[in-house]
Amino acid sequence: MRRYAIRRSLTVVPVLLGVSLLVFSFVHLIPGDPALTMLGERATPEKVAEVRVRLGLDRPIWQQYVLYVGKVLQGDLGVSIVRGDPVATDLLRRFPATVELAISAIVVAIAFGIPIGVASAVWRNSLVDSLARLGALTGVSMPIFWLGLVLAWFFGVQLRVLPTGFRLESGTTLVPWTNFVVLDAALQRDWSALVDALRHLVLPALALATIPLAIIARMTRASMLEVLSREYIRTAEAKGLSRSAVIVRHALRNALLPVLTVIGLQVGHLLAGAILTETIFSWPGIGLWVYESIESRDYAIVQGVSLFIAVIVVGVNLLTDVLYAAVDPRIKYE
Amino acid sequence: MRLAKVTSLVAVALLSVAAPASAQTFVFGAQGEPVQFDPAVITDGISSRITRQVFDGLVRYKGATTEVEPALAEKWEVSRDGRVWTFQLRRGVKFHDGTPLDAAAVVWNFERWWKASHPQHDNQVKAGQTFEYWEAQFGGFDDKSIVSVVEAAGSHTVRITLKEAQAPFLANLAMFVFDIASPKAVERWGTEFGKHPVGTGAYRFVEWKPNQEVLLEANSVYWGPKPRVKRVVVRNIKDNSQRLGALKAGEIHAMEGLNPDDVAVVKGDANLQILLRPTNTTGYIAFNYKVKEFQDKRVRQAFALAINKRAIVGALYGGTGLVATQFQPPALWGYHRELKDFEYSPSQAQALLREAGLRQGLSEITWEDGKKEPLIFWYMSRSRPYFPNPKEIAEAMAADLAKVGIKTQLQTTEWAVYLDKRKNGQMPLYMLGWTGDNGDPDNFLCYFFCQPGVAREGFYANKALGDVLLRAQRLTNQAERAKLYRQAEQMLHDDVGRLFIANNQPPLAFAKRVKGYVPHPTGSEYFNTVELQ
Repeated sequence: MRRYAIRRSLTVVPVLLGVSLLVFSFVHLIPGDPALTMLGERATPEKVAEVRVRLGLDRPIWQQYVLYVGKVLQGDLGVSIVRGDPVATDLLRRFPATVELAISAIVVAIAFGIPIGVASAVWRNSLVDSLARLGALTGVSMPIFWLGLVLAWFFGVQLRVLPTGFRLESGTTLVPWTNFVVLDAALQRDWSALVDALRHLVLPALALATIPLAIIARMTRASMLEVLSREYIRTAEAKGLSRSAVIVRHALRNALLPVLTVIGLQVGHLLAGAILTETIFSWPGIGLWVYESIESRDYAIVQGVSLFIAVIVVGVNLLTDVLYAAVDPRIKYE
Repeated sequence: MRLAKVTSLVAVALLSVAAPASAQTFVFGAQGEPVQFDPAVITDGISSRITRQVFDGLVRYKGATTEVEPALAEKWEVSRDGRVWTFQLRRGVKFHDGTPLDAAAVVWNFERWWKASHPQHDNQVKAGQTFEYWEAQFGGFDDKSIVSVVEAAGSHTVRITLKEAQAPFLANLAMFVFDIASPKAVERWGTEFGKHPVGTGAYRFVEWKPNQEVLLEANSVYWGPKPRVKRVVVRNIKDNSQRLGALKAGEIHAMEGLNPDDVAVVKGDANLQILLRPTNTTGYIAFNYKVKEFQDKRVRQAFALAINKRAIVGALYGGTGLVATQFQPPALWGYHRELKDFEYSPSQAQALLREAGLRQGLSEITWEDGKKEPLIFWYMSRSRPYFPNPKEIAEAMAADLAKVGIKTQLQTTEWAVYLDKRKNGQMPLYMLGWTGDNGDPDNFLCYFFCQPGVAREGFYANKALGDVLLRAQRLTNQAERAKLYRQAEQMLHDDVGRLFIANNQPPLAFAKRVKGYVPHPTGSEYFNTVELQ
């Protein structure tokens, strides 16, 4: 097991190197001199040269790459071109908003996806199953952008029961201890802020959860169907166990393994979906940030965030694989 | 069952209608993220909306007009030759950090704007900022400036001596860029002052949550009319429709940047109201004169004849637009009423292109250095008062141009970068516009055309035009000046220096309960008169 974990971890190194190379070359694919972009029209040639030296742009490309990797390893992701703030600091300040949203979405997806999948499998070909399958199909094919707008319009504008965007009501001053608003509100025992934060989470979390929810439901159904047809289930039933005990204790537990992998894979999708969701709901996480930075060609931010997201996706996949091995002893690294 | 009960309780708690935004907080929906809040270096309306609340100038505009009235200066006098201005400052005014507003503080601010060697000027320039407006309004820095001496002639008396009379001097001083900042705070924060603004204004800066909102709090010891609402929040909602959604949902009280199609929607909503800003804005298309093809006047004329402005204004401005015939909007006293505009004529446009040797039309341009590239027509990613829906307008214009054989590729980028590209003269053909700052024709024309050949104006070099404008700037008689501005508009028209597309009375949408909001032609409005009922 430990050997597996170590060897699996080692495979991550070339992946990350590849990603860093890709992200690095990014800047050099963008036309124009970044130094000039930073300084604007009143830049004298001397000043441009000075900034080029400071950014290391005067060195050969391979040296720049080595320098870049060195800096990244020290946690330095450069500074924003438009505003001049360090990217790493801003990234850490904004990331909690995205994590909060992603966690809420995955909780919603699991909480609804698994029961729906189980019900669908248990009452196979019933009305419940048909509805669940239709729902899942719709969910998978629904553009987040459209769904988000519809949710905001219906619950926010028409019914006025939920806010159409942001993390808190305007003008709320909550001290950002962790930048996880829900957590901050709870820690500071600010219950009205907590309710407010949860209210703001509902629509974006629903919008973001739809696709993973549908995928989890479909995966659970397929996996359950397979397990339910196994002989040991028949044995369990023959022993006279209650139906719910058979389903939950014997079938679901074994059916969940592939579902776990799917959930792990959703992290990447969630981060990608967050860019859209955050844009629709003015949610100030890294998604909205990277969206605005792409528009402003603030390559330092785009670079930093891309690398960061890649590391997270790779990391979560690694974790899933290792967990999988922990849960299922048959898995070995060959 | 217990689970179901808990779940439904939580759901009820979450869905229970939120308490309506407090009557003590005014929430304004802005179109984008501010750049920063140092009034001396910003140029955009989104940032200046905030700084107008936090800072005051020596003088300010009165109500909805561009007439000048006292602000931090209680009164002033000017010497007979128009060169020496003496301002008496209001006594007992303090900056939000508690330091006194006195003559020394005012002189310090002028020196910072004016002298390139001032440490708080120099550090900004090194950080990539420029004091763009000072340069434009007062001729440049150090010896280049029209200002020759700024001195304290008493604890609360400031004397400013100019090298020569400048007609729009007071109107210039009323602009947001010349609002007075706390010297102590600027020295404390240096180049970060823009994130920690300290002025004397009706509202104190509290917090800027990036990508979210800016919080302001009433200044209880404000020298002027006390703010009616305790707090102001300016929320950044990028998308026009989402912003309107937030207004309809009651999450914000006011917004700018209404889609023209939505004007009717707001008018039909019993809870909402519309106020129009008096027109003080012109949208234009600018040529880059480093592009060889654009150096030929016939080509520029072909553009002017090919674009059907009337149709565009009719279809895309929601009934609040006017066709622009010149740079100044009709409300300005330098407006040239007799100027005969180009009439839409695709056939004439084609003929002119042929005459200019462009038989195949125009799809590729040649820069002066010989580089060839496809003709990119830049439009703004952000809606501005003069182009409320830039993409649609750009598409309509590009379609008109295509009809006569001018094939453009539409492209856009984020606002700050767009402005930067303009500054550096990097766009061959672009849309932009102007919202007047001070109601003086000089502000419309001189900023753009007094200095021939600058990069930020696409290297347009018309020295004769610049001379006329500089002459008008030095006169004090308004009738004489008006004549010169009419002449300037005619010259600009005859040379087809630029294409003027539309003026707009930008609509602002409000909840019905908002009272006392005074839309100002310059777009910078004070929130201290706003009330929520």
